Amino acid sequence: MGGEGWLFLFAVLMAAVLLFTMVFFIIMFSDLECDYINPIDLCNKLNQFVLPEMIAHAFLTLCFLLSGQWLAFLLNAPLVGYNVNKIMAKNHMYDATEIFRTLSGHKKESFIKLGFYLVSFFYYLYRMILALISESD
Amino acid sequence: MSQEVMLPQGWEARWDSQSNAYVYVEQSTGRSQWEVPTQPSYGSSNPSVSPAPQPAASHHRPGRRQYPTAQIQQVYGGGGYDTQPQAQQPMGGASGYPDHNAQQQQPQYFTPGFGGADAQPQQPQQPAYGQQPPSYGGTPAPPYGQQQQPYPGQQPVDQMANQFQQMNVGYGGGAGGGKQLHQIQTVNLIGMQPDVTGLVAPPPPYLLPPNAAVTASPHIQPDPSYQRCTLTSMPTTQSLLNKSKLPLALVMAPYRSFRGEVDGDDPVPVVEDSVIARCRRCRAYINPFVTFIEGGNRWKCCMCGLSNEVPQLFDWNQAENKPADRWARKELNHSVVEFIAPTEYMVRPPQPPVYAFVIDVSQQAIQSGMVAVAARTILESLDNIPNADNRTKVAIIAVSTSLHFFSLPADATEASMLVVSDLTDVFLPKPVDLLVNLTESRPAIESLLGKLSDMFQDSHTVGNALGSGLQAAHQLIGKIGGKIIALTATLPTLGEGALKARDDPKLLGTSKESSLLNAASSFYKTFAIECSKQQVAVDMFLFSTSYTDVATLSCLPRYTAGQTYLYPGFNASRSEDAIKFATEFGKVLSMPMGLEAVIRVRATRGIRMSAFHGNFFIRSTDLLALPVVPTDQNYVIELQLEDDIKGSFVVLQTAILHTTCYGERRIRVITQAMPTTDSISELYGSADQIAIATYLTNKAVERSMSHSLDDARNTVTKNLSDMLAVYKNQVTSSSGASAQLAVPENLKLLPLLCCALVKHVGLREGASIPPDLRAYAQCLLTTLPCQSLVPYIHPRFYSLHNMPNDAGNINETGQMVLPPALNLTSERLERHGLFLIEDSQNIFIWVGHEAVPRLIQDVFGLNNYGELQGGKSTLPILDNPFSQRVNNIVNKTRELRRGVYRPHVYVVKSDAEPALRSWALSLLVEDRMDHMSSYAQYLTTVKNKVNGN
Repeated sequence: MGGEGWLFLFAVLMAAVLLFTMVFFIIMFSDLECDYINPIDLCNKLNQFVLPEMIAHAFLTLCFLLSGQWLAFLLNAPLVGYNVNKIMAKNHMYDATEIFRTLSGHKKESFIKLGFYLVSFFYYLYRMILALISESD
Repeated sequence: MSQEVMLPQGWEARWDSQSNAYVYVEQSTGRSQWEVPTQPSYGSSNPSVSPAPQPAASHHRPGRRQYPTAQIQQVYGGGGYDTQPQAQQPMGGASGYPDHNAQQQQPQYFTPGFGGADAQPQQPQQPAYGQQPPSYGGTPAPPYGQQQQPYPGQQPVDQMANQFQQMNVGYGGGAGGGKQLHQIQTVNLIGMQPDVTGLVAPPPPYLLPPNAAVTASPHIQPDPSYQRCTLTSMPTTQSLLNKSKLPLALVMAPYRSFRGEVDGDDPVPVVEDSVIARCRRCRAYINPFVTFIEGGNRWKCCMCGLSNEVPQLFDWNQAENKPADRWARKELNHSVVEFIAPTEYMVRPPQPPVYAFVIDVSQQAIQSGMVAVAARTILESLDNIPNADNRTKVAIIAVSTSLHFFSLPADATEASMLVVSDLTDVFLPKPVDLLVNLTESRPAIESLLGKLSDMFQDSHTVGNALGSGLQAAHQLIGKIGGKIIALTATLPTLGEGALKARDDPKLLGTSKESSLLNAASSFYKTFAIECSKQQVAVDMFLFSTSYTDVATLSCLPRYTAGQTYLYPGFNASRSEDAIKFATEFGKVLSMPMGLEAVIRVRATRGIRMSAFHGNFFIRSTDLLALPVVPTDQNYVIELQLEDDIKGSFVVLQTAILHTTCYGERRIRVITQAMPTTDSISELYGSADQIAIATYLTNKAVERSMSHSLDDARNTVTKNLSDMLAVYKNQVTSSSGASAQLAVPENLKLLPLLCCALVKHVGLREGASIPPDLRAYAQCLLTTLPCQSLVPYIHPRFYSLHNMPNDAGNINETGQMVLPPALNLTSERLERHGLFLIEDSQNIFIWVGHEAVPRLIQDVFGLNNYGELQGGKSTLPILDNPFSQRVNNIVNKTRELRRGVYRPHVYVVKSDAEPALRSWALSLLVEDRMDHMSSYAQYLTTVKNKVNGN
């Protein structure tokens, strides 16, 4: 298995992890709506995952850039830009005092990210298989 | 005219041409009477044939048609009055337009008895004027009638307003199936001076269906000062609400103070036997709107419809072992009621009230005299601090570059100081004696307070570790909860939560200005959450001589249900400053505390609370956490309709569970019932302009923080014009451009309030407002209850030099009479006059530069205008009636409203001190100011938006 195969195998795993993070976020948000968790605990819990998620995604994108996978890189670049912008504006963390006002926005964002990771998961899987097939030829 | 009076079922109105009046005939019995019937016909009721002719009849003699009042009545009276030449009408182009209204509403208000009214269009009768039905639901009668109107030019407007008001207050009688409707009167605002006396009018009545309540008590609806809704009728569907563009929100001050002696408030009735009947499913408290079923053994919840058992103690008095009268129970007779809660409502035994004072003792604070005044005020208030059962605990921490703790042992007479200079990792130097019982350690506390200011007199420390001091106080009282009172004269620059002076003047007036209104450091937010978790509230007293970052520091009170107080340029050597602070601080200290409180609003199924505004922490989707409930603070809760509402009325219930400062767990319940409606015109007829203005204020402040000030102002104007556009198109059904601005009568002051709001210091356009003042104004805008908020947005303006004779004196009923309020325009200012402008925070006495020496002598005790000094001052009490009257008015203004605020008096000379002068003039919101539009221009802007361009 060559470099491209390994890269996309790694990407598939990362996408799966990110996918699960988003599912976790969405479950937590619904918990908050149903009053199973209070906003302070929720924010403490979720804030631990915000930066790791962003870094993981940025790292994956960097890998694509370095290995010259332009299409995959371009696919991910907008989200990296969005995340960087959020960090620069210092509103990437969940704020317990504002969470109920912004909850619908957070949920929407999580769903969009979920969809994005799902699409990219299958794209990476496809590219991985493609890479494996082209190698075995 | 048919829409003026709606007859109950079974009645018919016939025109009696001999007496020139309507006679009302009961169809089933043939009985006739002159009065407008209010009871539906039951076949036989006592036949009261009253020959009293209607007073209104005399209004409409043809010979008097030239009077503006009569004309207006005619214009609004119906279709038959277009014989009047247009040019003579004082209403401008208003003539044809009410006809639209009348025709459109015809089917809706149509009653069988009035079928003949259209056939007799020449009859100018308005029975509604003459026959004033009893006012609804205990709503106080409008106070207009008694007001003197000093300006002849204003008279038509006022008289018209009176008429409208009377019509609105009375009920329209029962149409059809007993459903009452609000009467909509459309008024045109363009070219008219607003009637500012309408700002104190009560909201439109809640026209509940008969028998909605199980008891006939007059107290089944809360006083509007406790809770009011932007609409007094609930729309049945969300799509109707969306279509109407009207906001739906509750505006409440549930823990408002009780001033029996001033306002004649009734104290909140208390249910003492701790029998608390609640619905098993929705947990609603029993209230006057439930229904008893199965012979009174069970009650049906008015919110979810579940049948619950009636507690046996409702009918049995256990204390005296005899049957009790269920109908006399307070919770079935009063909308606002307090229950004494049993132990199931407690997480822990009731905690004592705790006060931790964090006092800035840096050089600047000492020099301004803040520390001395604060210490003296605390000392004097020690007896007033709630301490009913000698459990109250107190701690004092002084903060400069290090933290100074005071050990106050119970048996000592002197306090000993412990200094901690580690600001990053705050620890308590001693486990005991720092937080002490107020009664036991009284001698030590008194001696400490007596010399606190002198202790730090010689220190020349510059720097303030407020954040660390707050953390220490939090560690100290966190186990119990309570209140931290922080007093600071400088920007916190050291330790945790250090801030920078970020008030870059270049940012002012730009779109980036809103960043100055947001918190600079996340410390205060995080710390606020910590505090809220441990039931600690923080009150901030800020004494700025320079920038103190009110926006950041006010985060703490905002999320811990405290309050921010700002004293700009405080200097205790000016007695006015010292008195103002000492009075307000003393009131805050003696204010009763409700500890460890939660607020929850429950409502009939289908209604959901969607957003919350105010000082608290939102702990779950519908639970507000308040470590300490402050009195007289306002909350706004937005409502949404998730499902269509079926019933004929809905119930909204606010419950505050709290521990009183004398160790009792109590639940204050406020129940409000509203009729439902599916008509958009009824929604407009029931809109409450004061509540809508409060809602818009909160939304605008929120918007100014999240977006920009410009955006906030536009939102206000857009909301207003959206509402009026819908009103114009849907209710008055006139389409296309129009030269008038049609508003329903009950919203006629909303454009004025919106105009005043966008020009308010908190939202005003311009680069000259310091960010501290703006942030503080925004704090007040979101926390003041309606009673103070309305004058804060739209100040009161009186003319003193020519006030009526009774103004400033006490009338027969023992009330101080205030002069008639004037429109806020500088046209009213006269060069020789004396005027008073007050906005509930400041009082301006405006002296015209041609004021006669006699006036100056009488009021200020000086020889002439030239000797008069402008600025903050105290009016002398001189031995002449005019001085006493002016002082009476100032004092009355100060105690007019609930709350701790004691407005400063500023003497403004009309030709000196441009800054003060323009400040006072900026309160005259109907005028054009810099490049902000005048009221007339604002109306034109709104009109253009309504017309769609």
